[in-house]
Amino acid sequence: MTPWIDVICILAVFLSLTLLATHRIVGMIKIFAVQSFFLGLVPLFLHGGIIAGRDLAVSLVTMVLKAGLVPAVLFWELRHISMRSEVRPILGLGASILCGAVLIAVAFWISLAMKLPGKLESSLVLPCSLATILLGFMTMVTRTRAVTQVLGYMVIENGIFLFALSLFDTMPVPIEMGILLDIFVAVFVMAIVLNHINEEFERTRSTGRRPRWGES
Amino acid sequence: MTLILLIAVPLIAALIVLLPAKNIFRVRLLCAVSLFHASVVASFWWRRPGPELQGYFVLDPLGLLLLSILDLLFLATSFFMIGYFEREHRNNRTFTACILCLLSMTTMVSVSYHLGLMWVAIETTTLFSAPLISFHRNWKSLEATWKYLLVCSVGIALALMGTFFLAIAAHETRTLLLPAILNNAPLLSTSWLKLSVIFLFVGYGCKMGLAPMHSWKPEAYGQATGMVSVLMAGGLTQCSFLALMRVSQICHKTGLGDFYGSILIVAGVLSLVVPAVFLLDEKSLKRSFAFSSVEHVGLLVLGLGMGGVGVFGALFHMINNALAKVVMFLTAGSLAQKYGSSRAPEVRGVIHLYPVTGIFLLVALLAGTGMFPFATFHSELLIINASVISEHYVLAGIIIVCLAVIFMGISRLVLDLVYGKPVEPAPAPRENLFMNITIAAAAALLVGLGLWMPAPLSGLLHEAAALIGA
Repeated sequence: MTPWIDVICILAVFLSLTLLATHRIVGMIKIFAVQSFFLGLVPLFLHGGIIAGRDLAVSLVTMVLKAGLVPAVLFWELRHISMRSEVRPILGLGASILCGAVLIAVAFWISLAMKLPGKLESSLVLPCSLATILLGFMTMVTRTRAVTQVLGYMVIENGIFLFALSLFDTMPVPIEMGILLDIFVAVFVMAIVLNHINEEFERTRSTGRRPRWGES
Repeated sequence: MTLILLIAVPLIAALIVLLPAKNIFRVRLLCAVSLFHASVVASFWWRRPGPELQGYFVLDPLGLLLLSILDLLFLATSFFMIGYFEREHRNNRTFTACILCLLSMTTMVSVSYHLGLMWVAIETTTLFSAPLISFHRNWKSLEATWKYLLVCSVGIALALMGTFFLAIAAHETRTLLLPAILNNAPLLSTSWLKLSVIFLFVGYGCKMGLAPMHSWKPEAYGQATGMVSVLMAGGLTQCSFLALMRVSQICHKTGLGDFYGSILIVAGVLSLVVPAVFLLDEKSLKRSFAFSSVEHVGLLVLGLGMGGVGVFGALFHMINNALAKVVMFLTAGSLAQKYGSSRAPEVRGVIHLYPVTGIFLLVALLAGTGMFPFATFHSELLIINASVISEHYVLAGIIIVCLAVIFMGISRLVLDLVYGKPVEPAPAPRENLFMNITIAAAAALLVGLGLWMPAPLSGLLHEAAALIGA
């Protein structure tokens, strides 16, 4: 079922690039959810279409956590914190897409030099996962809002997840679940901290001056 | 089932402290769990438990060393908390629950023999330590928490990537269990292993706070309460160091020891130079101690990188670093609670108002900068000695110069705090017995280790060093 994995790999990179070109946070969260949903499908196509219980479990957990709960937590965050819905990019959207395209080329170029000892289901897994990781880093660096930084981090995790699929048999299922759960809890903790930051911001706005971010 | 019990008991206690109860009950429960944990671990010095969960949990000498250090830290912190929460009336439900979860997860790091499982445990320690930093819930502490979360999460994501690269390198063995990797070392793919080593080093180095990935450290330690800083600087950083030592074990078996050693030495030197530069102009005591922590983790990786007697020195320094951090950060915490700050203009003339805390500050200065008779002196000397034995004379020179500059930087600030003109009006809170006994006990232990090393400890350190191939 390599063609399907190829399609999902390309979609993952395409969606990461779209994330860079989106100027509304709600849109970014939706794109991330779609990307996670497609990545959740990958385990189902791994063993020539024969779906084992383990594949189904990883696929389901990925979809529920990354495509369901994480976006839900981020939407909840958006509703509760008083912030504008536009992203605030350091780099303009056009320049971001251009840099993103360069990063994709770099990822493909690097992956040419990386010879995998085993056989992969698809030759696109490695370059596409590297491209997704690099695009996630770029989202994190060039978008200054806290929620967009969390999204950048999650895109990096998606890239790593795509890469991890090539090693499906090396990691026992409980540890894979542990990794997925850890990532979800990370987003949850980040959301709580963001909420506290917002409460503190609201409190200091009504009582007096607050120190600027980065001021010690 | 002993190891599983050690992981499970603090987790159950964490659930209990989430129930409605008084602050002091939660602290006492934490003390009881720490005591139970420490007594079980003490029994391991006589008889070590066998592998559990099909070899996923194994307690080897390296794990036992870390576990014993962690117990010292958690015991010290929990006793200190009795005094601390006599004055602090903020609800400590989340705080104690997170500390108990940290105890559980750091135990899992110490005993996990599967590198994927180890990653999960280390990442979880990051998540449970983040709410501890923002205990005071003010703007600066929240900013520090956010920086810590983001930097360490990204760093640890790189470590996950490194773990996957290692899985590719260990393609033939089809597992990440340490004994399987070590036994099949010749089958590992060298190029993937090198890539994996770099990613694992950057990832865990970020969590350890090695320069140049240390940016979160002054912020987090500067804003966290003293107790949290102790657990982070003495415990969590050393959990990541255990991960780096596991990598060292693999590199030693695959003939990549020199490659890994050179990375460690470069990072170690950077971690000495950076604090030396920044400490000269630092006004905050907690931030100074944070930079001192960067220096100490730098010394740890330097010792590991140099091999031979350096590894023994690094292992000994793990204990000394933890005890020194107890003295340093608990004193800073006690000071911050009295004055509401640990910065130079607001805190001065401590010795006139609080003679005991003033003396502890001087002790913290000497213990943290590695002065005789504190054991930090011996372990630092062992690491310098390792560089001389391996004929890295320039390196030895750099280490000595950096240590001297760091000493000048910290002593300038501490002497100003201790002997400067006292601030008016004098702050109200008095000295607390629990807090002072904890600091004094850690300082006494550090002096004791500096004068005499017990035979069982020496034996364990030699056994642990042999595992890394020293």
